Amino acid sequence: MSKFNKDGANGSVIDDLPHALLPFLQSQSQNTLTRLYQRPSACLSIFRLLPPLDRQIVMNLLWLESPVPAVTMSAWVTREGKKIYDATLLNLSRLHILPNPSVRLSLNGTFKTSLRQAITGGGTIGSFGTAAPKDDKHQPATVETLDAYAVERWETILHYMVSSGTGQLPTKPSPGVLFLLQRSGLMSTVHGSALQITSAGFQFLLHSPHDQLWQLLLQYLYMAEEREMDLVEILSFLFMLSTMELGREYSVESLSGTQKAMLEDLRDYGLIWQRRASSRRFSPTRLATTLTSSLPPLPTSTSSGAGTQDQGFVILETNYRLYAYTDNPLQTAVLNLFVTLKYRFPNLVVGSITRDSVRKALANGITADQIISYLSTHAHPQMRKNKPLIPVTVQDQIRLWELERNRLKSEEGYLYTAFASQADYEYVLNYAKELNVVVWESPAKRCFFGTLEGHSNIRGFIERRTGGQA
Amino acid sequence: MDKPSHISVILDLSPSQWHLSSLPENPHPLSLRSFLSQLLAFLNLHIASKHENTLAVFGAFPSKSVMLYSSTDPEADNTENVNPNMYHPFQVVDSRVVTRIEEELESLDQSEEEAPIGLVGALTKALCYINRIIHPSASQSSGTTSEDPTTLPDPRILVLSVSPDLSTSYIPIMNSIFSAQKLKVVIDVCKVYGPDTVFLEQAAHLTGGSYIYLDRRDALLQHLIMSHMPSPALRKLMTVPTQDKIDFRAACFCHKNIVDIGFVCSVCLSIFCAPVPVCSTCRTKFPIKTLQRLNASRPPGLKPANGALKTAPSTPHTRGPSTPR
Repeated sequence: MSKFNKDGANGSVIDDLPHALLPFLQSQSQNTLTRLYQRPSACLSIFRLLPPLDRQIVMNLLWLESPVPAVTMSAWVTREGKKIYDATLLNLSRLHILPNPSVRLSLNGTFKTSLRQAITGGGTIGSFGTAAPKDDKHQPATVETLDAYAVERWETILHYMVSSGTGQLPTKPSPGVLFLLQRSGLMSTVHGSALQITSAGFQFLLHSPHDQLWQLLLQYLYMAEEREMDLVEILSFLFMLSTMELGREYSVESLSGTQKAMLEDLRDYGLIWQRRASSRRFSPTRLATTLTSSLPPLPTSTSSGAGTQDQGFVILETNYRLYAYTDNPLQTAVLNLFVTLKYRFPNLVVGSITRDSVRKALANGITADQIISYLSTHAHPQMRKNKPLIPVTVQDQIRLWELERNRLKSEEGYLYTAFASQADYEYVLNYAKELNVVVWESPAKRCFFGTLEGHSNIRGFIERRTGGQA
Repeated sequence: MDKPSHISVILDLSPSQWHLSSLPENPHPLSLRSFLSQLLAFLNLHIASKHENTLAVFGAFPSKSVMLYSSTDPEADNTENVNPNMYHPFQVVDSRVVTRIEEELESLDQSEEEAPIGLVGALTKALCYINRIIHPSASQSSGTTSEDPTTLPDPRILVLSVSPDLSTSYIPIMNSIFSAQKLKVVIDVCKVYGPDTVFLEQAAHLTGGSYIYLDRRDALLQHLIMSHMPSPALRKLMTVPTQDKIDFRAACFCHKNIVDIGFVCSVCLSIFCAPVPVCSTCRTKFPIKTLQRLNASRPPGLKPANGALKTAPSTPHTRGPSTPR
């Protein structure tokens, strides 16, 4: 779980950090990756997840037949770029895209062939998905249907999480989803009762849908490792979905056994849509087709009523009052995590940010930065004219409330007292200060407190001293 | 740094120049067909780099310019058969660009002499298109697109030129350069065939783009990727080749000749190849004494081309469009 949390948090807070999937791929064996690189669609998707300089290096080397001396390539890099360039080479070599970058640069043969195939077309693997033949009985699902389905599925999961502690009974997601939520540590059972949201779960709710989706999918991948499913099959299916076209139907026939088994899970998450569970065709939803982009994975149109996801809806005033133009129960529930809600209207929720409401959120494990970043990503267009976006008073106050909780700091260590003389005390204290292990000192009481690490040294010092005197 | 980027590619599709380019006497003959296949790989790589990257392709044909493809074009997206071995957006771009070029080339009239190439038209259309996409609020008042500047693409223009300079197009090209500077659009130029063009060299220099004269024409794709693919932000980390010497010569307003030494109107900064008594642009009369002195100081015969006119590029901005024909 700890591994998972680290990856998830990395990808979400700052955009400049590498995509959450890359560390996972880097931890895979060379064999696994080489098998994955046999599929053009996987290469294309991984290429797209790379940071910009990595992409440029890959492109520079893509059409070269012979390796390039490392010196030649680094001559193109400016002085400011040196550090990033070195990190880039390391990153690419960990992904086994660029083996041994120290002397000569040349792309992994499999990766090169597949990416070339992806760019120019060709090959016979059909890794971009086989379209289903036209169905005379049914029209393929429209984009609106798919969007509505994806939103409904995704919000069911989030709404279940957010209302788990409140005693309401929202619709339950499928057992597979519940198991995944529990495994990822987003929800847990407290002494045998129903599932409860954890502090990791609260943090999860404030992330963007894109990060949430990848966080769950990464967990799915870890689980697949344990269930001994073929990771390459799973990854290549996800990548295939990400290159598919919204609103088109694809045939199940060309999928492998593992991939067919995945259909059910992905249907539960809202990534794909099928007319019936036994249907021989499936359509990817927007959640799936935007996996490798930074476009909003849920529809932005307001017409469907459900999704005001991307457009901001929150207005926050300097007097801590908050107006949220939304009719979405999920968004209201998420706001309820750190806002005291006062009034509710059909399209508007009014509340205020108070010390109690923020402390409640902090107690749940949400940080002040997460609250502020949620408020700024969901700010109403009207508020975007303000500079800074979130009133400074409110920002500072939320941070101060967080600091309030950190007034006490605990540290393990040893208290040294009962020195025979002031000189003795000062002599030992100076030694301890040189080691930089003093946490607190009181000359009046002739005692000081040292850290755990410093204890053996100080003890040895005192013993040597008293031993010498004796 | 990882912003989406937009490239407007301008293709110089002069049939006669491409015919000359494909002749086997060239050190590296390059036919239009093999040029297009390398270009399509470049376009595909651009779309592949990021889902949000956008693309527009303009064609400059003799005496006309056409938009061949744009990512925002809705009708481009109606292909029925899907190739399971190719990413769908690539199929759309490739088939669309190739069929449109074929259509346009078919429709050219087979007259004896080829009309001058419509490069300026294509450049202007590209600038207009970029202006539209970086100011979405002006064109779409509905406000469905977010006006967050981070989601707007980083625009640039790539000109793939085969035709020589047209000295009549000096003023419109200069005006395009100034609007590009104002829009903060980088103009990259790749000279695929033919002699260096003075005006496009200046365009690349003044907008901070890179100008490549393609020596090894069999390595077109590699040149395009190395020097024209990095976005302006990435060029801070990875250098692209720039020119070491730029020909700053301007064309005179009276005969549209490229001049080594020009005479500049002191009021409106119009350029003339010989001293004139009355400025044709702003009707300022010059004293007869000055004219005599200038005429006396003119070098006898033609001087070698070393005195480049450093002030020239700023001139047409003020009075450019109103010059007499």
